[in-house]
Amino acid sequence: MDFELDDDQRAVREAVERLAERHAGVERARELAAKQAYDSALEEALDEAGFLDVALADGAGPLEAALVVEAVARAAGGVAVAAAALVAPAVAGRSLPRPVALARGGDPSPVRFGAHARTLLLADGDEARVIPLEAGDVAPVASSYGYPLGRVSADLGGRGESLGPGSAERLLRFWRLALAVETAGVMAAALEATLEHVKQRRQFGRAIGSFQAVQHRLAECAIEVEGSRWLAYEAAAHGAPAEAAALAAAHATRAAETVFAETHQLSGAIGYTHAHPLHVSSMRLQALRLEEGGASAHRRAAARARWAGRG
Amino acid sequence: MEFDWSEDDARFRRELREFLDAGLPEDWDAIAEHGPGSDAQVAFARRFCPRLAERGWLTQSWPREFGGADASPWRHAILGEEMWARGEPRGPQYMNVNWIGPAIMRFGSEAQQREHLPRIAAGEVFWCQGFSEPEAGSDLAALRTAARLEDGHYVVNGGKIWTSYANHADHCFLLVRTDPASKRRRGISVLLVPMDLPGIEVREIPSVVGDRYFHEVFFNDVRVPEACRLGPADEGWSVVTYALQYERVGAARYARAARTLDQLAERARERGRLGEPEVEERLAGARAACEAARVLTYRVIDRRARGLPPSADSNVARVAGTRAEQHVARLALELFGTEGLEHGSFADAQFRAAMPAGVAVGATEVQLDLIARGVLELPRE
Repeated sequence: MDFELDDDQRAVREAVERLAERHAGVERARELAAKQAYDSALEEALDEAGFLDVALADGAGPLEAALVVEAVARAAGGVAVAAAALVAPAVAGRSLPRPVALARGGDPSPVRFGAHARTLLLADGDEARVIPLEAGDVAPVASSYGYPLGRVSADLGGRGESLGPGSAERLLRFWRLALAVETAGVMAAALEATLEHVKQRRQFGRAIGSFQAVQHRLAECAIEVEGSRWLAYEAAAHGAPAEAAALAAAHATRAAETVFAETHQLSGAIGYTHAHPLHVSSMRLQALRLEEGGASAHRRAAARARWAGRG
Repeated sequence: MEFDWSEDDARFRRELREFLDAGLPEDWDAIAEHGPGSDAQVAFARRFCPRLAERGWLTQSWPREFGGADASPWRHAILGEEMWARGEPRGPQYMNVNWIGPAIMRFGSEAQQREHLPRIAAGEVFWCQGFSEPEAGSDLAALRTAARLEDGHYVVNGGKIWTSYANHADHCFLLVRTDPASKRRRGISVLLVPMDLPGIEVREIPSVVGDRYFHEVFFNDVRVPEACRLGPADEGWSVVTYALQYERVGAARYARAARTLDQLAERARERGRLGEPEVEERLAGARAACEAARVLTYRVIDRRARGLPPSADSNVARVAGTRAEQHVARLALELFGTEGLEHGSFADAQFRAAMPAGVAVGATEVQLDLIARGVLELPRE
C-alpha cells in the first residue's frame, strides 16, 4: 500500500497539467462548446507527448492512464481522452484510431464525441467490436451539456472487428472505471470554481464562504469527491475488476448529483452564466452521470459482481 | 501509488481469518449483534483478547520497547478491519490498543508505562473514556469536572456522561480541570483513574440505542494519587489532541457496515429477492459508501505509515465512515419492511446500534468545520 504518486506518476501528472494549461482550460472549452467542436489540437498535443498511449508503456498501466484522464478532465479538456487512453488499450490491447467513442449495442441514445469519432468501440452482446466510422454513420446532436454528442445509426451491428467472446464485459468494466476517473476530475473542477466564488463573493459584509451553512455543504462535497477519486485510483491500479469499477462509477455518479446541486446553489445566479466558469464542469457532470446506463446500471453491475456468486 | 498488500500483510490477514474462523463460537453472530459494549461481547472479549495477545497480534504495531513488534500501521489497520468485519470480538479493548496505549507511551511516566502497558498488551484490561460532560459535548474544552490537588492526591468532583463501557471498565482515561481559575483549553489535565476507587458511581442511562450503552459516571471526593496524572499538569489538552488523532480513525466501522451488508444480501437471497433491481441498487449504493470510507481511511493510515502529522484528511475519513454506517443501518431497517421493527431482530439491532454514529466521538458538524478549514481553506465565521 502506498498512496503517494511515485516519481514517474508525478512526472506524468505534472506534464499533463502543464500541457493542459497551454491547450485546455475554461476559456478554450467555452469556444469549443459554442461550435459543438472537438479539440483536435489538444488531442494531437496529448498524442505527441505520448500520454494517450501511456497505458501501453513499460512499467505503466491503467493507473497512469487514469492520472492522465483525471488531469485532462479537471482542466476542462474537450477530448475523448478516457476512451483513447484508458479504455481502448485495455480492451483492444492497442491504441485505436482517434477519436474513440464508446457505445452499447441496442442503445440508440446519443454518444459522447460520437459525431467526431473515427472509431466506435461498441459493446455488442458478448463481444466488443471495433468499428471504423464513416461519413453518415453518426448524426450530430446539439446539447448544452459540455460535450459534442452524436447519434449512432442503428445498422452498425456486425460491422468492424470483434475483439472476441467476453470482450464486451471488459469494455463495460473499463468504461465504468473511465467514467469514475473522469467524473472525479470534473467534480474537482466544479468544486474549485465554487470555492473560488465563495471566498471572493461578499454579502452581509463578509465572504459567503465564512458562513457555516455554506462550509458544511462544501465539506460534504469534498468528502464525496475525494472518496470517488481514491476508489477510482484503486480500481485502476487493480485493472478495473468488475465490482471495484462499478462501485467507483456508482459512487462518483451519485457524488456528481450532490456536487452539481451544491455548487450551483452556492454559486448563485452568476453560476448559470456563460461568463462564470462553473457551467463548464457542472454541465458535463450531468452527461457523465447518465452514460453507460447511469447510477442504476453501475450499482446493479456492482451488486451482481459482489453477491451473485456467493452463498 | 500502489494498492496491493505486501506478501507479509496478506499472509497475516489470512492467518487472522483462519484464527477467527476457528476461534469464534457458533453463536457469535448473535453475540456480536448488539455492539462491542454489550455484556455478552465484553464477557467474550475477556477470554478472547488474551489469546490474541499470546499470538503477539493485539499490540504488534506498538514499539518493541513496549512489548509490540514495531509492525506498520497497515498491520494494525488489517487487525482492526478483520475485527470489525466480525463485529469486534475485542469488545471495548480496541480503544486500549488504538489510542490509550499510545497516549501512555507518549506522555506516561516510567511507572505508568510499567503499570498499564503490559496489561493492555496482555489483553487483560478494559478502559473507558471520561470526556463528555452535561455541559461539554462537542465543545469538550468547556469541561468542568474538578480535581483539586491535596496532599499528593487529586480530589475529583463532578460527572461524566455518555460514557460507554463504564460498567465494565477497570480504568478511566479521565479529563479534569486542575486549575479552577482556568478557562477553555488551559488548566485541563488527564488522570488515569482506577474505577474501583471510593466515590465513583456508574449509572446506566436508559436509551433507545440499547441496554448498557450509555452511562453517567459520578465522582464524589474521589482521591486519585497524583502519580496517576498523565503528562504535565494543566496541559492535558495536548495529550487529548494527540490521543484523539489516533482515536478518530482507530475503529474500522466501515468494515462492520460492509459485513452487515453482506448479511443483508444473504437474507435477501434467502427470500429470493436478491435479483430485484431495487434491492441490488440499494445494496450496491451502500457498499460504495463503505468502500469510499475504506479508501479514505487508508489514506490516513498511509500518512501515518510515512510518519507525517495527522491532517484534516482524518476528518474526511471519519465523516465518510459515519455516512457509510448510517447508510447501511437505514437500509437494514428498510429492506424487509416492518419486520425490522421487532425488538431484537437483525435490522433492529443494526439500526439502533448505528444511531449514535454521527454524534459519538465528535459530532459530524465539528468534523465538517475542520474539513472546511483544513482542506478547503475557508475563512472562520
